[in-house]
Amino acid sequence: MSAMGDWIGFVWGWLATHGDIIIIQTVNGIVTGMILALIASGLTLIFGIMDVVNFAHGELFMLGAYVGVVVLSISGSFWLALVLSTLVVALIGAALQITTLRPLVGRDPLNTILATFGISLVLQNYALWQFGPVPRKLDEPITGQFVLFYLAYPWYRLLIALLSGAIIGGLYLFLKHGTYGIWIRATTQDRVMAQAMGIPVPWVHTGVFAIGAGMAAASGVLFGPLIGINHAMGLDWVLKAFIVVVVGGMGNLGGSIAASIFVSLLEAYAAIVVSPAQAVIVSFVVLILTLLFRPTGLFVPTPK
Amino acid sequence: MSAPPTPAEALVAVEDVHTFYGKSHVLHGVSLCVGRGEVVGLLGRNGVGKSTTLKTIMGLLGPSRGKVLFEGQAITGLPAHKLARMGIAYVPEDRRIFKLLTVMENLRTGLDRRGVTEARKQELLDKLFAYFPRLAERRSQAGGTLSGGEQQMLAIARAMMLEPKIILLDEPTEGLMPRMVSQIKEIVEVLHRDGVAILLVEQNVPLTLEACQRVYFMEKGVVRHHALASELTVDDAVVHQYLGV
Amino acid sequence: MSKRSNKSFWIAFGIVLAALIIAPLVLPEFWRRFLTEILIWGLLAMSSDLLIGYTGMVSFGHSAFFGLGMYGAAAALLTVKPANLWLAILYGLCGSAVVAGFVAFFATRLRDIYFAITTLIFSQIFYVVIFTWTEVTGGENGLNFTRPQLGIPGIYTVTFTPEILHWFVLAVVTASYLILRRITHSPFGMVLQSIRENESRTRAIGYPVERYKIVAVMLSGLFAGLAGVLYAVQNRFAAPDFVYFVVSGEAVIYNVMGGIGTLVGPILGAGFFLGLREISSRIFGDQFPYLIPVGVIFIAMVIFLPQGLLGFAKRWLNR
Repeated sequence: MSAMGDWIGFVWGWLATHGDIIIIQTVNGIVTGMILALIASGLTLIFGIMDVVNFAHGELFMLGAYVGVVVLSISGSFWLALVLSTLVVALIGAALQITTLRPLVGRDPLNTILATFGISLVLQNYALWQFGPVPRKLDEPITGQFVLFYLAYPWYRLLIALLSGAIIGGLYLFLKHGTYGIWIRATTQDRVMAQAMGIPVPWVHTGVFAIGAGMAAASGVLFGPLIGINHAMGLDWVLKAFIVVVVGGMGNLGGSIAASIFVSLLEAYAAIVVSPAQAVIVSFVVLILTLLFRPTGLFVPTPK
Repeated sequence: MSAPPTPAEALVAVEDVHTFYGKSHVLHGVSLCVGRGEVVGLLGRNGVGKSTTLKTIMGLLGPSRGKVLFEGQAITGLPAHKLARMGIAYVPEDRRIFKLLTVMENLRTGLDRRGVTEARKQELLDKLFAYFPRLAERRSQAGGTLSGGEQQMLAIARAMMLEPKIILLDEPTEGLMPRMVSQIKEIVEVLHRDGVAILLVEQNVPLTLEACQRVYFMEKGVVRHHALASELTVDDAVVHQYLGV
Repeated sequence: MSKRSNKSFWIAFGIVLAALIIAPLVLPEFWRRFLTEILIWGLLAMSSDLLIGYTGMVSFGHSAFFGLGMYGAAAALLTVKPANLWLAILYGLCGSAVVAGFVAFFATRLRDIYFAITTLIFSQIFYVVIFTWTEVTGGENGLNFTRPQLGIPGIYTVTFTPEILHWFVLAVVTASYLILRRITHSPFGMVLQSIRENESRTRAIGYPVERYKIVAVMLSGLFAGLAGVLYAVQNRFAAPDFVYFVVSGEAVIYNVMGGIGTLVGPILGAGFFLGLREISSRIFGDQFPYLIPVGVIFIAMVIFLPQGLLGFAKRWLNR
């Protein structure tokens, strides 16, 4: 018993002395979690409606950041960059869907994985060719900071979390109300019946792919100022997004958002003890455990 | 008994259609037609291709040979959503309502079309809720929470929202209580009075003979027989030949 | 398979083999090396074909097996003096077997997309471990070593010249091909194919599907590891880049380009891919990212030529 008591005492002592860093990491975790949620909700929406695991999602994120860099350097306005980048990448997404995914409808889902993998290679190398290997910098629109314990914490990070939340909220309202939202939900539930009701399903697919692409681009621009922008930045994010989409239950929007925050918080806490590069393993472990014990996803009601 | 007269101008005409379901050849040259405002029955044992015929007309399955005409125009190969907008509605065997959408949203999948004014939408809904007061009560409830009979009502109501010229109705009374069955029959009569044509696939012979003007009998992927419903009785030799066990 | 087509198969096999044996004697240094590399990548692709083409499981984690084969070989070549080729192969196979056992145990419980994603994630775990564990693995820089000699120590040894290396690789790849071919034609291979066609029916007949899948992943992992050892010996280094999942993706690309479920197809696909890469760098210059045109061709092949080059050629020949 006393060994147990010692152990609890040690944990309490550690928590008491590390309270500040735990709070800082909580904030960090939520900020990354919201960005991740923005990427993952597009991914899960696309999977839910057309059974496509979009390998190129990370590249759409990357492309969004680059378009943001270009627009910002021309116009000087971060917010214009955010809006234009979202629109441009949404259009690119629509074009990619029409040319490469639409011909694959009705084939083995493996084919769509391969096609999006091909897209990801092309986009990544296009970015490398166009923008070079040197990372680009995207300046944040506001530079103010506030003091969080011993840290000067940028307001911009909190703004990212808020804006991501607002975009996801907008998506929710769009899906919940209005004709197009009904079309998307009906198509997700029963593609064939939706078509028999006169819903132009091929265009709904294109539209959803465009929305997902736009959201990935928006997160790329928002997150851009925190990291260097390079052609390979999408890879880490698409892997993380895969993880949270599976952990949250494939195709389940709410679950993906919850999983994004959950996994990001765990990684942030793990980063207190190990290096951030190794902290990634925590999310891998979460994924494996989820797949083994609850393959339908952590954040979904138990199927009856 | 001679073959009954077919309508001079067919709304839907199926001509020598062959359809494969995966690798199995299900329809071996089906031909039939439905006139404007006509209620036509399609009878046959399980697995003879009745549902496949409906799916082929709806554009959900592509025929390998033959063609489907709608108002004299070939529609073979057109996607289902275009056909739905042209005036063909489909009520599948297993109802397939959108379970996570509310009753109202289910109706709106058919109602929110280009060229339908708000006033017209309201008019359609009012008319519909007069027929189906149960659906009006449950309009904001999720489709999946409805009872089997209510789901069947919703499936038909949803099809009606397209203001179709023809409804392809696949076994609407399957698994329903007798009270619900008579309600389905009433709906078919109401639709008929409104001038909507119906191609009805059914196992319930008395209901089919009462509701339809003409009846086709299918066997092994082809139409074998064709008669006026008024000339048939439930105990007819023909009925026994194609439906008897 | 009829006797006649069996005979023509062996004739074709003999001709191709003979051509590959003679090739290093007539080819210039660059192309000789190129051909050796195709064979190594072809072995990796062939190993993943056992899963993709024969069992219906798409692995996006073959880089882990390949990479562990490389690092296993590196371990043997750096720690044991004098460096011994056979020990390198043994270590490499052990390394990939450990990883394959781990992946097989967990991932085979999942199917389709879930299997693909899980194998991908597993390979990333090994990538992160290798990348960050600098003291042992050399981290980002990887490990460099000298090439061992070929032979039986104390009896007969010969130093690897480019020709001998090519022949050695050719011998290993040919042997692997014959073993894999034997496996896929065996009753065991038939069960794998029936899993691909209909998993639940195979289970219903009474085959322990999970056990078959685990063995399939293990076998596939071993051959991928062998490819990794060969690559390490050829290039005298082991680097984390080769554990990264892009390598797994390329293995899948070789399969699709060449034709899945054919074993030879993936080798052909590797040759086609590397050839395209070479051509594009000649046309557009070294600085141009070759994966742009190669990626576009790959996408077009997924859409228009899903049975791959070999499948297309077969159909064309049978016309």
